[in-house]
Amino acid sequence: MSAPLSLRCLLRPSAPVPRSITAAASTPSPWTATFSTTASAQKDGQKMGTPKKMSAKTKGSVSTHMNPTGKKQTMAKFKKNKGAKTGKPPLPGERKALRKRIQLSNNNALPVAGLVELEPKDLLDPTKVGTMVALPGEMQDSLRTLEAFKPTQFWPMFRQPATLIRSETVDLIAQMQEAASKKQMLRAVITGERITGKSLLLLQSMAYGLSKEWIVINIPEAQELTTACTEYAPVPDTEPVQYMQNNYCLKMIQAIKKANSSVLAKQATVYSHPELPQNIPINSSLLALLNAAKEPESAWVVFQAFWKELMHKDATRPPILFTLDGLQHIMKISDYRSPAFELIHSQDLALVRLFCDTLSGASPLPNGGAILAATTRGNAPRSPSMELALAQREAEQAGTEPPAHEPYFKGYDTRSEATLKSVKVMKVKGMSKLEARGLMEYWASSGILRATVDEKAVAAKWALSAGVVGEMERASLLTMRP
Amino acid sequence: MSTEPTDFQPIDFQSIQAAAEIDLLDPGSAVPQSFFQKARPIPATPSYFTRTPKFNDRFLTLEKLSRQYGNLPTIPPSQVERVAWQNLEDLKLSLGERVKSTDFSRCLALVKRLHTIHPKLKPAVIMEALEPFKKEVQPFLAKRSVATVDKYGRAHAAGKRKSSVALVWLVEGMGEVLINGKTLPEYFGRVHDRESAMWALHATDRLGKYNVWAKVQGGGTTGQAEALTLGIARALMIHEPALKPALRRAGCVTRDPRKVERKKAGHVKARKSPTWVKR
Repeated sequence: MSAPLSLRCLLRPSAPVPRSITAAASTPSPWTATFSTTASAQKDGQKMGTPKKMSAKTKGSVSTHMNPTGKKQTMAKFKKNKGAKTGKPPLPGERKALRKRIQLSNNNALPVAGLVELEPKDLLDPTKVGTMVALPGEMQDSLRTLEAFKPTQFWPMFRQPATLIRSETVDLIAQMQEAASKKQMLRAVITGERITGKSLLLLQSMAYGLSKEWIVINIPEAQELTTACTEYAPVPDTEPVQYMQNNYCLKMIQAIKKANSSVLAKQATVYSHPELPQNIPINSSLLALLNAAKEPESAWVVFQAFWKELMHKDATRPPILFTLDGLQHIMKISDYRSPAFELIHSQDLALVRLFCDTLSGASPLPNGGAILAATTRGNAPRSPSMELALAQREAEQAGTEPPAHEPYFKGYDTRSEATLKSVKVMKVKGMSKLEARGLMEYWASSGILRATVDEKAVAAKWALSAGVVGEMERASLLTMRP
Repeated sequence: MSTEPTDFQPIDFQSIQAAAEIDLLDPGSAVPQSFFQKARPIPATPSYFTRTPKFNDRFLTLEKLSRQYGNLPTIPPSQVERVAWQNLEDLKLSLGERVKSTDFSRCLALVKRLHTIHPKLKPAVIMEALEPFKKEVQPFLAKRSVATVDKYGRAHAAGKRKSSVALVWLVEGMGEVLINGKTLPEYFGRVHDRESAMWALHATDRLGKYNVWAKVQGGGTTGQAEALTLGIARALMIHEPALKPALRRAGCVTRDPRKVERKKAGHVKARKSPTWVKR
């Protein structure tokens, strides 16, 4: 069975000129069909007397009815779909690579005229709320390197990656900008219901950071650090023992290097780092420092040296954006075990510790910046301490009575609570109808929403999804029902 | 005959004297002798010798009335006041007599005929005579209570499906939905369930115009979603009664009566038979 997308593109509405989303923001699109023509068009095609190919289904039914071979019949639904026989099982990691593949463009989607490229000031402009902006090519590469795109997001449906400016975006970016201008640090946790756009808000913050030449560091999935799927080793001379994850660190260093190369090339080291395997003289670039990490063995040491350089207070040092997705995973005991076969707390892993210390404000960023953590609702362990701490911070921000600990519950984690003692909580909720309309018009212009986008249609989709972005996508794009 | 205990006196049997015997052949009597020779006792009612005297009396009364007033003008049947008449069983019970169904049907035909007489000309005797034929409880007099929007603008209705019950409060608004304190996507993971819950509003183009606050319990997700459909449709009809035909076309008015079929003895489920085993 072929993908529905390719069928749709064959039956694209006839008028060739796609309208600009900015010009047509208030009027319904002239060419978007109010109904789907797919079924009737197929029917017409059959009527025209074109030589009908016998489909696989009809072939099967004829043969089974007549049963010429006399073989035992099996119902189609019980037949095993063996697929193409290539003779070789997929190589290790091949399946995962396919599963985690990020596809950022689709030639079947229509190009959206009038779609402007993202400017950092757009993300700060409250008048731009509800408009889509495209991510420039270079930024796409950086974001891809930083793994800001997730395979579950709807990037493969559109011609080019674009993002919606929401009121939450403007709010977050304004706070980031304010903090950076004062050389302060924004410490925030982004939380919210399932598929409300938490990860996308992180992506937007990274896009802002990259365009403003911040140093952007991202931990795309916190579970990769704590579910015991990457190698670990004790850091020498630490009490209590901390654990480094060299393989992961090396991967992260390479991502940092690739995504921030132009900024790092301009920054020079101020310390000599005798512990490094390679001599990095003072006043060489940070890029050269990171290049010292060639083997996993030296990755953690290099990262520490890099972090030490970043912590040097200097007016020329750019602000830092450090983001992490999946906060729950680092707010609990990890799956790693110590030599005594005791479970290790996630915050005894050196990289996680570094993130948590920064998030809690224990080790501030001297040159300003932002440290953002997003919670996740997919495959997330329960972290009662985190939930309570976030509820408390939220109540404090709202000026209401913060909730207290349950007196007889034993599953709290004091270290996690201490980490979240003074963070700012940003709750991502459903979109407003204005934002929903902007998004739906973008879908219609891309040719994947084949309906007139008017107030009625927006209200209908909005009511079905309560404005939650992912639910709107599920209700509008993943269904063939009008 | 009973005497009150307070009036009780010892009876003096000596003082009681029987009345003198009537001598019908007494020539001194004022009544002519021939009368007594031909006379025979006549019962007080013509039904004296029947087994159903009470019913017969009523029947005869009705017959007499219809002879007497049968010519009075009647009104068309559609305008006659609806009355629930007693059926045969009720009548048998109330009279304590065995009434034949043929007699009863003839009697009821008379009742109905007399009932159609124009109410302004209908004499009181007829009303009196018809009264015992009416059922004690008159369902046609009961007025159906009409639900209205309350002072806060809420319409309240209940809907059911399978074993789910939904209580719905519908108020004019921006299209927000709360079901058991959760939003629609939080409560229903399946898009299909969300669509069917909101179907009544969707089919009438009212999706962005009403806020829904609902409590649902019992059953599974499909049942709950469809119970909501019915509840919302009923609440919507309180706000806008004119939408009833549209809602009926959308299939939101009638309660789906289907329930789980009970398991039968000798079957694995309701209909499924056990696998045939050779001995």
